[in-house]
Amino acid sequence: MWFKSLDQNKKRKRLLDKTPAGALRDYYQTPFPAPKSKVADIPLVVLDFETTGLDIKYDHIVSVGLIEINQLGVNLDSAWHEIIKTSRDLPEQSTVIHEITDDMVNLGEEVNLVFEKLLSRLKGHVLIAHHAQIELGYLKKISKELYQQDFIIPVIDTQVLAKRQLQREQVTLEKNSLRLFNLRKRYKLPAYKAHNALSDALSTAELFLALMADLYPGLDCRLKDLLKN
Amino acid sequence: MDIELQEIHDFIARNTLFDELPDSSLAILVKNITIRYLRRGQVFPPEGLPKKHSPEKHLYIVRSGVITLRDAEGNLIEKLAENDSHISQCLEVSTKTTGLANEDSLVYLIPCSLIKTLREESTGFNSHFLSSAEHRMKHAVEKRQQRSDSQNAMRYLVCDLTDRKPVMVQSSETIANTATIMTTENVSSALVMEGENLVGMITDRDLRSRCIAEKLDTQSPVATIMTKDLITVDDKTILSEALLLMTRNQIQHLPILKNKQPIGNLSVSDVIRHLGTNAAFIASDIEKANSPEALAKISQRLPELHVQLVIANTSASQIGEIFSMITDSITCRLLKLAEEKLGPAPVPYLWLAGGSQGRNEQTSHSDQDNALFIDDSMKPDDDKYFKALSTYVSDGLNACGYVYCPGDAMATNPEWRQPVAVWKKYFSNWIERPEKKALMLASIFFDLRPVYGETALFDDVQASMLNAAQENGIFIAYLVANALTHRPPLGFFRNFVLIHDQEHDNTLDVKHRGIVPIIDIARVFALSKGIKAVNTVERLQAACECGAMSKEMSENLIDALEYIAMLRNQHQVERIRAGKPADNYLDPKSLSGLERGHLKDAFAIIKSMQEVLENRHQTGRIA
Repeated sequence: MWFKSLDQNKKRKRLLDKTPAGALRDYYQTPFPAPKSKVADIPLVVLDFETTGLDIKYDHIVSVGLIEINQLGVNLDSAWHEIIKTSRDLPEQSTVIHEITDDMVNLGEEVNLVFEKLLSRLKGHVLIAHHAQIELGYLKKISKELYQQDFIIPVIDTQVLAKRQLQREQVTLEKNSLRLFNLRKRYKLPAYKAHNALSDALSTAELFLALMADLYPGLDCRLKDLLKN
Repeated sequence: MDIELQEIHDFIARNTLFDELPDSSLAILVKNITIRYLRRGQVFPPEGLPKKHSPEKHLYIVRSGVITLRDAEGNLIEKLAENDSHISQCLEVSTKTTGLANEDSLVYLIPCSLIKTLREESTGFNSHFLSSAEHRMKHAVEKRQQRSDSQNAMRYLVCDLTDRKPVMVQSSETIANTATIMTTENVSSALVMEGENLVGMITDRDLRSRCIAEKLDTQSPVATIMTKDLITVDDKTILSEALLLMTRNQIQHLPILKNKQPIGNLSVSDVIRHLGTNAAFIASDIEKANSPEALAKISQRLPELHVQLVIANTSASQIGEIFSMITDSITCRLLKLAEEKLGPAPVPYLWLAGGSQGRNEQTSHSDQDNALFIDDSMKPDDDKYFKALSTYVSDGLNACGYVYCPGDAMATNPEWRQPVAVWKKYFSNWIERPEKKALMLASIFFDLRPVYGETALFDDVQASMLNAAQENGIFIAYLVANALTHRPPLGFFRNFVLIHDQEHDNTLDVKHRGIVPIIDIARVFALSKGIKAVNTVERLQAACECGAMSKEMSENLIDALEYIAMLRNQHQVERIRAGKPADNYLDPKSLSGLERGHLKDAFAIIKSMQEVLENRHQTGRIA
């Protein structure tokens, strides 16, 4: 893992050379946090996307929620929520889940502007998400579409951390036991109204703090211990 | 603020600590929250992380979990649960506390620098941070009294008015039988059921217009003439809404459902009766009552009056005056009825009330304490008359809900039905040869107030009693020792000391451990300074006026009494509304974090006054 992350900084430099001036290039100019740094000392950003579906190829992002963790505290003033404008109609099912309607989406922000803002927020940070391959997948897809370049970032996946902890405690994993909602229940975190990108990001952030405290009671852990392989 | 943080915003807005902040400040507050997670066993306040952690101090709010706080010596000071806040780091003089998470806890941190700014903007908010318990107490009492009464005037729920189960018949029942049932139950309407389901209603009017006038066979099922498609309301409907429904639809009856089951049938006359349940109406009804039974019936409205007064935010001292006034009226009426029955008294007499009625501090839940002073010209044989008179009145009061005094401090007891000369001797004995046990009962008689009869019979006794008491240091010392027997249920480290028994587990007896100690303190000052007043607030004010007690202490005790009595009233009214008898056992868990804090402040005020008394009178030697 350690060398993989080292590779990430190398990879970042390679991408930096290939990327023309613009937001993505700015993003790649800031180094990723060193894998050996203490998690408590590095800036973390928790991200959640609400999407029209799970098929990254065909589906797209409806809204973005983001919140930062610094020194193992979630800062509410860093909260950011944005609805993304899209030309396509929303499938009815996803409207029901996210309570975001076509009208709201039409009022939303253009995807390229949202991505630019995202890049500036993610710069120099480690990304945290629950089941991160969705968020990462969409980021890569948009990056390809808008900049014809790959997108990379160090990632901590709370679902992976939770799985590690549950297995350590020899809990039998059931179908839904790794879902955000059930994990929060397990750590006695308050129930939030689910499925809004920002409240899910907040939920994930709190779950991350709980998992950290559970996995490393002294909170003494290094980034390389948590990075997703 | 992002609307998506609404849940945190709502949580903060519900916390009484912030209820005087404008919305704009709340939004800023929420934005500045940092969320921390503490695993069970972790130190609180959460230590920062090495080196870089900013030295900023915070106000903490527990979102979930439990945190215990200890002082520098490691003694337990307080337990913080959901919604509780820890403000000590933001105080000017902060005490060093350390804590531990007893459960996995989620904690919100707000920087003290922001709290400081908000305090400067709102005096109400600022009052929570004033250093002394007294300041916080004062503000809490004032704030309650400021709330507008009119806003709440109609906020009664329909279930507050349903004192009887509705009369119900099955839809297959004959019209004739239904009419019989309604007649025996003495009601003008009945609900028609099909098994468990409400399907209709039948009224006197239906019987007349749809059956008799139509010459219908009275053996037909009642379903044929009932009114179907009823308008009903849920038991938690506000009364004013129900009234609106009735007028708008021109209906006289409104079935009340709880979990789809009828629990009452509200009639227009219920509402009118309810609107008439105010003290003035009750007093005038008492004047007209012709029998103890009629008085007993009127007094059934007292719990409802209690609910009404508390909902309208009437102060506890006013509630005490109103209920004592009503008890006085009932007592006077009973005495007049007794005189009508027994003939005029052979010699002048005076009926006096003691205890809470004497002090004008009753609630709807009080027992009776009374005494009879008889003119010295009485002959031994005259006692027969007074015995009959006392029995009549005491039984009448008992039937009205003022149960017999468990300590037998009533005029029915021959000891407390005596000529003035004997009473004088009683008082001088108590004062000159005080005994702890006798004093406990006698405390009822040091709060006597004339209610009916020859008031002059009391004046002389009171004057000589006050004279003798003031001059007798030993008596006062005994009185102080007695006043210290009830201590507030506050542990050494500001934790509540709860009752642990089967009946009242985990509660506080707010009467004996909160209200009584203040009453006792006030009595000490009254008797040692020759103060005639018996009402506790008046005694405390007089003690301040004559210089025996500092202005602050007098005001603090008055505020503490008002606050505890207010919480007791609220608790009793909740019990009444839940159909349970009113009592004095308060579960601190039923209070908000802020209320718990105020209650502790009130107890702390009592405690400090008791300590002053203890030092001043050196009661150790007596107790």
